[in-house]
Amino acid sequence: MAQVDYSAAGTPVRDDLTEIHADLLEHLRSPGTWWTGAERVAIATESRHAPGCALCRKRRDALSPSAVTGEHDSLGALPDPVVDVIHRVRTDPGRLSKSWFDGVMAAGVSEAAYVEVIGVITLLAGIDYTARALGAPPPALPEPLSGEPSRQQPATAKPGVAWVPMIDPAEAEGAEADLYPDLEFVPNIMRALSLVPDEARMLQRSSDAHYVAMQDLANPGARRDLDRLQIELVAARVSALNECFY
Amino acid sequence: MSSQTTGDDVDLGTVNGGVETDGGVEHGARLVAFTEAVMGDDETRLAEERAALRALLTPAAFVDAAAVIGAFNVVDRIANATGIPLDAGMAAMSGEVREELELPRFLSSANTPGGS
Repeated sequence: MAQVDYSAAGTPVRDDLTEIHADLLEHLRSPGTWWTGAERVAIATESRHAPGCALCRKRRDALSPSAVTGEHDSLGALPDPVVDVIHRVRTDPGRLSKSWFDGVMAAGVSEAAYVEVIGVITLLAGIDYTARALGAPPPALPEPLSGEPSRQQPATAKPGVAWVPMIDPAEAEGAEADLYPDLEFVPNIMRALSLVPDEARMLQRSSDAHYVAMQDLANPGARRDLDRLQIELVAARVSALNECFY
Repeated sequence: MSSQTTGDDVDLGTVNGGVETDGGVEHGARLVAFTEAVMGDDETRLAEERAALRALLTPAAFVDAAAVIGAFNVVDRIANATGIPLDAGMAAMSGEVREELELPRFLSSANTPGGS
């Protein structure tokens, strides 16, 4: 089991948060749907390496990221198009465009493999930013587990709403019957990774532990030790800095 | 999701930064300053803002703030990388707020019909 220790933060960290971080790291090192455990850990390692990339820094300073060409400072374990996805999503998430996404697909990355990469990058970013905020070093990446990806693509995932196919809650059945909570409204963000259901499941668990439980999203009275206004202010400021319209 | 209505009167200017008041949110200015420091790369400023916030909040509330910063570094990236549109109900509920915050300036608004 992956280990998480936030004692360096000098403040008690609630158990559900350290437990979900340990579970996320365990998930990260396990064989996925389209990538092996070793490849998933390589994606995570490249993701932590990305903020030091000279090309990414130049692009962030440029008016348009496409105006700056060159090669990423890559660790060399993954194909170039995947490295570009990792670096762009980690370091400049506000300037991802449909044309950029189409270019990634044209370079040979499948939609499902892309969604799984996004799951690994983003769930790790959540761990890393939480640790940074707490004042503790990020947990070490675990050793990968052996095994083959399952290569199971859900038949009910359909294109049309987003750049990637998603499963409509009304059509989540069979192996995906548990994918969404029994709610009248399931926001698109909780559907976004559903082409790779295991990533969507982990996103929901992660969000429940870090933010508020999905069942409470529409309840303005839902709170933690921070009240809901404080939670939403922090959330909104992060989203503004990440240039996220959603 | 990040701008759901709670029914309270809040100065939305705090969300876009550059405002030194709490904006109607308890410890709002310090929460925003801490969030900006976590998202930035000035380690001295981060240490100062962390200490300042910890002096104001209970340990559990401070951990909540750290966790929310983590949460939205996940969902923002997923939303922008998958091109999901804003949910119709959410768009209707938050349209005025989004205009006031000038959110259509973000590239990702193009993923929502009528968003940009």
